[in-house]
Order: sequence, then structure tokens, then C-alpha cells
Amino acid sequence: MFEFVNTLLIGITAGSIYSLMAIAIVLVWRSTRVVNFAAGGIALASTFVGSTILEITGSFWIALPVAMLAGAALSAFIEYFFLRPLLKRSGDKNQEIFLPIIATLGILGIMKAVLHFIYGEKIGVLSPPLSDKGFIVSGESIALSPLRLLILGIVLLLMIALTLIFQRTNLGLSLRAASFAPEISRLSGIRVDLVRTVGWAISGAAGATAGILQTVNGSGAVTPEAFEFSLLLVFGFVAAVIGGIESLVGAVVGGLTLGIILAIILMYLGSSLVFFAAFLILILVLLLRPNGIIGVKGGRRA
Amino acid sequence: MGAVHSRHITNKHRFIGFVLIGLVVYILSNIVDEWRAYQGATVAVFVVAIASVILLTGYSGQISLGHGALLAVGAYTAALTQIYFSAPIWICFVAAVLSTALFGAILGAAAARLSGPYLAGTTLALAVGLPSIANQFSILGGEQGITFDAGWPPLSLGETFTQYKWFLWIATLTALISLWWIQNILRSRYGRSWRAVKSNEVAAELVGIHLGRSKVLAFTVSAGIAGLAGALLAMTVNNVSPSAFPLALSFSIATGAVLSGVSTLGGVMIGSLALVAIPLIATSISDRWSGSENLATVLPDFIVSALLILTVFIAPKGPIEKHRSRHSK
Repeated sequence: MFEFVNTLLIGITAGSIYSLMAIAIVLVWRSTRVVNFAAGGIALASTFVGSTILEITGSFWIALPVAMLAGAALSAFIEYFFLRPLLKRSGDKNQEIFLPIIATLGILGIMKAVLHFIYGEKIGVLSPPLSDKGFIVSGESIALSPLRLLILGIVLLLMIALTLIFQRTNLGLSLRAASFAPEISRLSGIRVDLVRTVGWAISGAAGATAGILQTVNGSGAVTPEAFEFSLLLVFGFVAAVIGGIESLVGAVVGGLTLGIILAIILMYLGSSLVFFAAFLILILVLLLRPNGIIGVKGGRRA
Repeated sequence: MGAVHSRHITNKHRFIGFVLIGLVVYILSNIVDEWRAYQGATVAVFVVAIASVILLTGYSGQISLGHGALLAVGAYTAALTQIYFSAPIWICFVAAVLSTALFGAILGAAAARLSGPYLAGTTLALAVGLPSIANQFSILGGEQGITFDAGWPPLSLGETFTQYKWFLWIATLTALISLWWIQNILRSRYGRSWRAVKSNEVAAELVGIHLGRSKVLAFTVSAGIAGLAGALLAMTVNNVSPSAFPLALSFSIATGAVLSGVSTLGGVMIGSLALVAIPLIATSISDRWSGSENLATVLPDFIVSALLILTVFIAPKGPIEKHRSRHSK
């Protein structure tokens, strides 16, 4: 029982980080209908920015917001200079999602190569701001540590902030309108192009946070070829698809489901089945609901 | 534009072209050293793998980011067939094609209901998930993998006939035969129905095409060809292990398909050559300009990625279509 609760706690922490990455992918999909593999590169680059800032200032609380800003700027840059011209060219044919996928894969490759060139074999260190020793409950150490609590807190805070932005502000309204019906939004005076760039920027900030938290939760170090980041990208994407790729709530549900089930499998069945389990979960969910857990049948086609 | 151009090319012309390519490889194989022969065999492997992606994505309109996993199924089947039935190598190839096609049919039945990002996500998860289960079953040899020994070249070819030259011959012949078969099936009623489904599902259904069946068939055929590529890959590296099929392999194959021009089979050589040649070119560039080891490791990826973005922007339908449309204007 004790072990099971610990496994759950580990799974929830990992899952909340996947949720953030899934949110980053959902935001881009909703605003521009692009499956954004560059999100992995954005997360990686901003984590390096974070580690550099941490090295200079010594404060995690300066490093995190700076990394988020860097992620937002980088993401907006990519949208403005690469995806916007590409999508303008291919028109609004929604079926053609293969080329944007390939373009973002190319951008991911370039970002990794550039980071590798700058940092070489150097490792970016991101030491956690709080202790990762578990709290002591009735004499035994549990998997919930101050650090894990902090990670959950940051994720929760970001989700609340995002919900408020989307439900309570004019910006959120334009974001939702622009993805729901771009033509009508344009006619009613929303600057759809600008709104899309903002969507990408928010996604970049979410991805940067996911990258920093993943590193802090893991080894505390980041390299340009870090396996943790491929993992983050793949599981974030899988979580987004499980959730129905349209919905922010779905992304959170998908991320937590994936995190918890994978933690249980890792604990009781061994590590070599984890990746295959992710595939099985995805295909089971999609067989039962081809548009994801929260997806709408026949979806909105913005 | 394309139609006018292709009316002049008959199947007879194509056959002559295939024979000519075979002849060129035959002559080259007698000139080059072992290392180049190995690279030539790798090009042939990529040709088959990329052709399978082009068939699925370019003609049937289904996205796959997970063809590396299908290659793994083919490679493991070939190796297991050899170990447990000590079958000759061509039977191993046939077994690889059949078992991967069966796997593809099951996967395709699930995939036919999916589209766009859902299909991309499923195939991506497959690419990450499938090779790693080799660690779970001891019959698959874990991290070290299992050997697949295609054997020495027959003695009748002469004492000096080398191992990799033999592999190059087998791989090239297999690639040419499968390309010939693929270009025929793409021109058959099946190929036409795939293209109809890709361009307009509703219209295709109205003329009596069964959407699900057509998609599953495309997935099955594509998987079978990918399995063959996997078996060829296992032959050239003598071994099958999970680390031979990383996510990067799936991405490379998709990259090669885009560089070749994903909607035409004709460019398939371009992408394969690019994937094999670019690392070599990058190494020689970095050797000449600076001795930096760091640059040498980074440059191949950088060039491939930059080419990818350029292709998407300049020639989204591929270099061959670009060339054609310019000349028909």
C-alpha cells in the first residue's frame, strides 16, 4: 500500500510535467493546426538559458521566469519566420499536416545542432532550489519531497493562470475565437495573425517550464542530446493526443493518466515495457474514442 | 503538367531505366572498395524504406512517423527465421515481408480510423515503444540483439569476391525488384483508389471505393516493404538490436521521403543518396575548415535539417515535380 502511494506520487509529478508539455503542443495545434515538434527544441534551448542564468545569478527564481520569456520569444520567432510563411503558401488545406510536421522536425534538428555546437560536451547544471529528500511520515520517507511539492505547485499555478487567461480576458477570447473561426474573427476585427503568434508564445513559455521542471525532477543536468527531452516531447505529444489534442483539460487528463500508469508499470513490471505501454495506452484510448478522451466527434475545423 | 510528361514514358522505357541503374551499380561495385560498397548497400536499404513511406504518405495520404518500428519487425523476423529454421537468406526476406505485412494490417486496421495528429501520435509512440520490448523477451536477445548472418558470397563468384560487394548486389537487386513492383501497384487500380481516397474521401466513397479497406491495404503493403528494408538493414550490419532502430531512424526515413519528394516515387534515389552522402560531405567540410571535432559531430544534422526546411519551402512536392512543372510552363 505504502509503495503504491509512493508510485502514485511519482506518477502524478511526472504526469504533471507531461501535461505542461501537452499544453504547449495543444496551444500550437489550436492556434495554427501545426503538430509542433520544435516544442522539444524550444524546451531544451530555454532550459539551457535557465541553467546559464542560474549559474550567473544563483537564483532559481530569476532563472525560471527568464527561461519562460526566452521560450516565449523563441517560439514566437519560429512562428513568425518559418510557420507563418509556410502556412500562407499552402493555403488553408487542413489535410496537409505532413509538411508542417516535417518543417518543425527540421527546426528541432537545427536547434539541437546549434545547441550542441555552442555547448559542446558541456553540461548545463540546474540544481533544484529545494531538497528532494522525501517528507518523513510515521518513520518512513515518502516520495513526496519539498521539490516535488514545488513542481506540482508551479504546474498548478500555471494551469490556473492559463485558465484565467482563456476564460476571463479579452486576449483569451480572441485566442479561442481565432482558432474556432479565423475568417469570422478577422471580420470582427481580431488580428488573427498576431493572436496566433501570441498562442505560440504562450506555448513556448509552457514548454520552457516543462523543460526546467523535467530537468530538476530528473538528473538536474541537461545536455543537447538529453534523452529526457526526447522523452518529454514524445510523452507530451502522446498525452496531448490522448486528451484529444484540442482541449487544455484533455492535455492535463492525458498527461496525468500517462504519468500514473507509466509509473505503476515501471514499479511493478520493469522499465523495458514503459515505452510500449505508452503506445498501448494511446491505441486503446483511440480505439475507444478516435478523437481522444475530451475530443469532439468530427471536431471543429478552424 | 505531370500527366502530359508521363504519357511519353511507357513501362518498357522504365524497365530499360531499371536495367541501366542495375548495370551502373554492377560496374561501380567492381571499382569501389569495401567501405563504399557498404555505403552503397545502405543507400539501397534507404531506397526501399523511403519507397514504403512514399507509398503510404504520398499516395494513400496516411502519415507515419513510425516506420523505424516496422523495419525492426522485419529485421527481427528475418534473424529469427534464420536462427530457428536455418533457412536460406531469401526465405528470411520473404518471412520478413509477410510478418511485417501482417503486423501492418493489424496496425492499419486501428490506423484507418485515425487521421492527422492522431495518426502521427500513434505511429510516433510505436516508433519509440516497439524496439524497446526486445529487452523484455530473451528470445529477442535484449540489448545485444541477435545476429543475422547472410553468409559469404558463393564461391562460384571467385575467390576475391568480397563480403560487402555481395551485400551491395543483394540489396540493389532487391531494391530494384521492389521498386519495380511498387511502381506497378501504384499504377494499378489499387494505386488509383489510394490516390482517390487521398485527394477526396467523400468523392472516393461515392465512386464505390471502400475507404477502410483501401487504407488498411495501403498500410499492409507499405509495412511489408518496410519489413523488407529492415531485413536488408539487418543483413548489412550483421546484427539486430533495439539500438539499431531509434526514433532518429524513423525521422530519417520521413526526412528522406520529403527530400525525395513525398508525392512521387521517382525521386526516391535522391533522398537515400542525401541521407548517406551528407554525413560524408559534412565530415570533409569540417576537416578542411577546422579540426573542431564538435563541428564534425554537429554539421551532418545541421545540413540535413536545413535541407529539410529548404525543401518544404522551395519544393514541397519534391525536386522532381519542381523540375517538371518548370519545364511544362
